[in-house]
Amino acid sequence: MGNIKIRRGVFDTPLELEHASVVAGFPSPADDYRHETLDFNRDYIRHPEASFYGDVEGDSMKNAGIFDGDRVIIDRAVEPHNGSIVVAWWNGEFTMKYLDLTHKKDGYIELRPANDDFPVFRVDQVDQFEIWGVVIHLIRTFETL
Amino acid sequence: MYGIADLDNCYVSCERVFRPDLKGVPCVVLSNNDGCVVARSNEAKAMGIKEGIPYFQLAQQFPNQKIAVFSSNYELYGELTGRVVSIISKETPAYFRYSIDECFMYLDGIELDKLQQWGENLHKRVKKEVGMPISIGLAPNKTLAKIASRLAKKFEAYRHCCMIDNDYKRERALAWCPIEDVWGIGRRYGAKLQSLGVRTAFDFAQHHKDWVRQTFNNINIVRTWQELNGEDVVPNEVLAKKKSICTSRSFNGMISDFDSLKTHVSNYAARCAEKLRQQGTVASSVGVFLNTNAFREDLAQYWNYQEQRLLTPSSSTITIIQTASEVLHKIYRQGYQYKKAGVIVLGIGPDSPIQQDLFDIQAEQFQKMRRLDEVVDRINRMHGSETIVLGSQQYISKEAMSRAAIEREQGQAGTNDAEHRQARPKFKAEVFANAIKHDFKSPCATTRWSDIIKIK
Repeated sequence: MGNIKIRRGVFDTPLELEHASVVAGFPSPADDYRHETLDFNRDYIRHPEASFYGDVEGDSMKNAGIFDGDRVIIDRAVEPHNGSIVVAWWNGEFTMKYLDLTHKKDGYIELRPANDDFPVFRVDQVDQFEIWGVVIHLIRTFETL
Repeated sequence: MYGIADLDNCYVSCERVFRPDLKGVPCVVLSNNDGCVVARSNEAKAMGIKEGIPYFQLAQQFPNQKIAVFSSNYELYGELTGRVVSIISKETPAYFRYSIDECFMYLDGIELDKLQQWGENLHKRVKKEVGMPISIGLAPNKTLAKIASRLAKKFEAYRHCCMIDNDYKRERALAWCPIEDVWGIGRRYGAKLQSLGVRTAFDFAQHHKDWVRQTFNNINIVRTWQELNGEDVVPNEVLAKKKSICTSRSFNGMISDFDSLKTHVSNYAARCAEKLRQQGTVASSVGVFLNTNAFREDLAQYWNYQEQRLLTPSSSTITIIQTASEVLHKIYRQGYQYKKAGVIVLGIGPDSPIQQDLFDIQAEQFQKMRRLDEVVDRINRMHGSETIVLGSQQYISKEAMSRAAIEREQGQAGTNDAEHRQARPKFKAEVFANAIKHDFKSPCATTRWSDIIKIK
């Protein structure tokens, strides 16, 4: 049967006619098994309004498998926890590090790189620091688009 | 109950999403072509920076002060505010976007005693997810909701959400609100009411309905009066797709030659076509207007607007640019200094089975143009808008202009008109984005891959 789905989008209200039924003739037996196509945006971006992209510069997270030139998806709706890979505003730029909350009750937190060549940042004043979002996906492209 | 969500200092808040260091720093956003201040942060307001002050006066009036200045980046503002509206659409039974920074919400269905908390949560969600602050007003009608949102913005104790749900609160809010700030009154009626001794919304609401009717003879003013007294009478807007799309700009300076005008109009037309395709629609007519600068009374004045029907409704960049150029040709008059032009596409309908007009291009060519648009859209999405444009959309670069001027001065005899025209395209190098003056524009971090944030 025709299945009318009203989807409320960001800018408009498109009326979608999905799986429009056949007008005449024998209905397809596959109709019963119909399933919506896998969709990266729908299934992996849980909070579209809170999701942003960023480009990685440098190798400070090398041992976490994140390299220079990689692209990450950041979700601001996700609550950062101890060990999250976060994007933070620190010292006038965006930086991506492991969040270490071990010393939170001692009044400071740490941003840990995944590369021994980089220092651990200790953050004990909040004025120039902000956890901007949590990294949820990594995109690395192997073939030219 | 009604609600209104109002984005606080909208443009400035958008800029701050990707600049956390500007928290607490005075920020302003300038109008197109960096003319004057159109948006101010609270800190900038507190410094005494007035809305509309020309940019060049800013440094004179506020020397040695740190003020963050941005050119307007409507691409960014449009995308980020769209996210806010999207969150609102998920949290409310129904909504109506009223302007770029205001959205009405119809809240029937949410329990009254939970509304205050609901509003505070909505603020928290938008602040956390998009990174922008909103103020929420809740009331039995839209006029009071607007006043409530002003209170929410003004006083921190409301925690970004103010609800007017009884007569005591209503009267106190009205007594606080200057009459000219009431939705639907405005400066003109406000001045008249002031002269009649009406200073606040409360003063106005105290008058008799007959007095209001006799003094103004205007149904909207009477409705405003009724709403201030608690009735719900201002009609609700219907949710509808836009019936027309307009792209227009004031020029940086003034333009008198046809070729430059045509380049501008081509770009506006291209923008309209892109918007049509984005919402999956086609237009059936294209209109073009142009006008001189009405403030320059010393100059000759001219304005005109004309429309042309398309044989087949279309969203093709080529078709819409061609039609717009034809219309421009009809309305263009030599000898005037033009300040502004615009393109409007009308008669918008869904892009499904378009009836092919007998006299229009064949289906095959139609398909080709559609494929071309798809490829261009895709490339411009991936590599930044205006990576590919039509030749008619390109501006002559400044270097090429001066080179051409030198060549002319050197008196290169023998260049006839035809050759000159042929030689021109290779000088055209600038795209639309560079033709508007915006020296302090921020990256389009949510709409162009080339502009997304860099993370160390």
